[in-house]
Amino acid sequence: MKNSQRFLTLIGLPSVYLFLLFILPLGLMVIFSFRGGTTGAARNVFTLDHYITFIHNSSFQRLLWRSAGISFVVAIISTILAYPLAYYLVFQAGAKKTMLMMLIIIPTWTSYLLRIFSWKLILGSTGLLNSVLLALGVIEHPSPILIYSRTAVVVTLIYVWIPFAMLPIFAALERIDRYLLEAAADLGCTRMEAFWRVTFPLSLPGVIAGFFFAFIPTLGEFVTPLLVGGAQGSMYGNLIQDQFMRALNWPMGSVMSLAMLVIVLVLMFLMTRLGPLSDLLGL
Amino acid sequence: MKSPKQGWIVLLSLLALASLVLAACAPAATPTTAPAPTQAEAPAPTEAPAPTVAPTEGPSAQTGNLVMLDWSGYELPEFWKQFAAQYPNVKVDFSFLSESAEAYAKLQSGFEADLVHPCSNYWKIMVDEGLVQPIDTSKLSHWKDVNPALAKQGEFNGKQYWIPWDWGFESILVRKDLVTTVPASWADLWNPEYKGHIALYDSGESAHVIAALALGLDPWSTTPDQDEQIKQKLLELMPNVLTIWSSQTDLDQQLASGDVWVAANAWNASYIKLLGDGVNVDYTDPKEGRAGYLCGFAIPTKSKNYDLAVAMIDAYLAPDAQAYLANEYGYGIVNDAAIPLVDPTKVKQLGLDDQNIISRTIFYKFITAERRQAWTDVWSEVKTSK
Amino acid sequence: MPKHKLPSFGAVYVLLIGVLLYLPIALLIIFSFNNATSLTFPLKGFTLQWYQQLGQSSELLASVRNSVLIAFGSSLVATSLGTMGAIAIVRYNLPGRGLFLAVAAMPLVIPYVILGVALLILLNQAGIPLSAPSAGLGHVIISIPYAILIISSRLVGFPNNLEEAAMDLGASYWEALLRVTIPIISPALLASFLLCFTISFDEYSIASFLVGTDTTLPVYMYSQLRFPTRLPIVIAMAAIIMTVTMLAMLISEWLRRSGQDSSRK
Repeated sequence: MKNSQRFLTLIGLPSVYLFLLFILPLGLMVIFSFRGGTTGAARNVFTLDHYITFIHNSSFQRLLWRSAGISFVVAIISTILAYPLAYYLVFQAGAKKTMLMMLIIIPTWTSYLLRIFSWKLILGSTGLLNSVLLALGVIEHPSPILIYSRTAVVVTLIYVWIPFAMLPIFAALERIDRYLLEAAADLGCTRMEAFWRVTFPLSLPGVIAGFFFAFIPTLGEFVTPLLVGGAQGSMYGNLIQDQFMRALNWPMGSVMSLAMLVIVLVLMFLMTRLGPLSDLLGL
Repeated sequence: MKSPKQGWIVLLSLLALASLVLAACAPAATPTTAPAPTQAEAPAPTEAPAPTVAPTEGPSAQTGNLVMLDWSGYELPEFWKQFAAQYPNVKVDFSFLSESAEAYAKLQSGFEADLVHPCSNYWKIMVDEGLVQPIDTSKLSHWKDVNPALAKQGEFNGKQYWIPWDWGFESILVRKDLVTTVPASWADLWNPEYKGHIALYDSGESAHVIAALALGLDPWSTTPDQDEQIKQKLLELMPNVLTIWSSQTDLDQQLASGDVWVAANAWNASYIKLLGDGVNVDYTDPKEGRAGYLCGFAIPTKSKNYDLAVAMIDAYLAPDAQAYLANEYGYGIVNDAAIPLVDPTKVKQLGLDDQNIISRTIFYKFITAERRQAWTDVWSEVKTSK
Repeated sequence: MPKHKLPSFGAVYVLLIGVLLYLPIALLIIFSFNNATSLTFPLKGFTLQWYQQLGQSSELLASVRNSVLIAFGSSLVATSLGTMGAIAIVRYNLPGRGLFLAVAAMPLVIPYVILGVALLILLNQAGIPLSAPSAGLGHVIISIPYAILIISSRLVGFPNNLEEAAMDLGASYWEALLRVTIPIISPALLASFLLCFTISFDEYSIASFLVGTDTTLPVYMYSQLRFPTRLPIVIAMAAIIMTVTMLAMLISEWLRRSGQDSSRK
């Protein structure tokens, strides 16, 4: 009895907050998806038209899958690149740990937009890389390298998400009991064996969280494709943005967002087939 | 972990301190408290102490807030000197937009603004949904000087709902030094010479208009068959397209760096900016005519400060404000009385004196929700086809 | 601590990532002193004019202040709510736990534009005026999942018998949480605060709908993209923010170290 009281006290405030400022707006979105009129102005109409349009529109679906693919690649690579970073901070940085972590986070406080402009400055026709390559005689004519392509979107997003993917891995590695590793060493494990048999499995929840930290925001991304994607970089998020901000079709935008939500939920569900979500996240 | 706690407590307090310092300094610097900053910097020698005398009645006694739902850049006090002098005690607040549709979305969901700044293709939906009210032009002292052809664009059912204020061309901007032939028509965008070096504007409406013009159609009255033709035409353009631009800053960088050779729907402001930077560009006058945007002010139905809003529009229309718009930003203006105040080279570059270009300009018209939807869907399909 | 191999590899790797993260920023700082409005090489000459214009650009300064305040407030609230939620779901396996976790994680998967529009409608219905705090409300929502994930992964790491031990010594449950649990999870609280701060400070979509007239830095910047000549001023602002945060961090690190030294004496 006492336990459940404490539980309710602890969980009460966050729950109320989430209900008022998240569930209610989300409900509004679902209601919008059934409304008539392009802006959802026809409140009294109940229609499935937008869902039907969505199902029949092949370019929406193609883009949704393409974006899911891009997000998957981005999330996998960012997680892989972030892992050694977190590992170094936890096990080898010693007293410099906090400072190094801050140093990795601080660049993200500079506007994302400006950092992307800066990347274009490095990679563009008259950019840093071109100037260096020209001077070295590697190339004869300046040309944009890596920008205006789908690859550019992937590379840019990986760059952006590395610090985010690092944090949960960092947290997971931090809580590994050092005695376990010593025990493994005492039992004759090589460091590699100790890593694969002890450290890595124990850090898996952080790795999964890191993956989702990068995967989910990428799926809804629309700024990066606009800035570096060129003519082939458009993603699903751009189409949602077009429905909301250009066509003023909020119901359609809502349907498209719900479709994206379903993808993410299905993916999470598949993850839970491996074991309950909370176990997987180590909770 | 030795004592990570101390570290972050110190850090948090530093952050807190920083925000307090900012909180303490910034309000003093906010221009929203009307004309104080400009007067402080350059004390007007002639009309001396009028504002300092505590007024008891008349407009200068009026207090309150005027909320502007506006594009950024127009908050500068240079644009509303007349209003600031008239109502020194009214506080002007700005809420910034980055899309016309955003203005609509905000009004639609109940945001209370006193003035809103939509463009020609969006104001009428606001009228249709009762979001904006008619404006009594007899209260506008500068109305008589406004170019009648442009003024007419804001009329609906015999009432003036929208006061045009700024406009610009959307035409083909080309790096003369990088291409061998300069396009003379919208249809020339399809020239294979530009393969992989064209920038298109990210808008279904713009795409529709340029493809229609290239096909020799009237963009505003296309049939479904023609719409299909337009879609195919746009798909054929994609191999030439390097990128899709969405902000002038972005486009100017792309042209300056040489990544983009030919930009469709570029603004005259881009042209002037790049000329100023010494980039070898040409702003073409396609034989079908230039496209053009036109934006202006409307007063939301919910505004409780109708008179203040009207006075503010009048201030924005004043010759000095309009001349500032042309001189500083390189935008087209509506008040003919302001043209003598504009730098003559700017007048030439903007084509303000060339009625021939202006009358041939294809300004965006209001389109029905169905058409906007159709054009947006075509654009979505085209830009994701690659 | 056991010795791990490849120390040099690790250091080199961190250095590489560091260069990758800081190169664009170093370029921005260089260009903030460049006498041209275009971001293109070659550099045109040294100037301080962008910093001077920045001093006069009061809207920009006000937007930075708003952003810092919103980020600070929303991170504090999100970290507090996240801590409560995390303790609840980690310590108690009671009905409602799974549901709470699922709901709390969902803001991660909603496009921010949609959340922005939906919150806008909701706040208007409720008659809450748009302002910096209302944008903060929205930022708390998108920060909560990150806070819960980070804090709970730390909580799992230590057993709850520490709290029980404190209670055996006469502390009430809440005292035990405050005096034992919170200090132990403080690194996670820091990580959570920093991440939430980062998310809020650079968030555009929700803020653009909810701030009303209290423009934030990202909202200001996106709207300024129409004016290429203003870009260098914005870059100068970024350079200052960068420098100030770096200094703040170095000072705090220095204070922390000197604090440790004196405690050892």
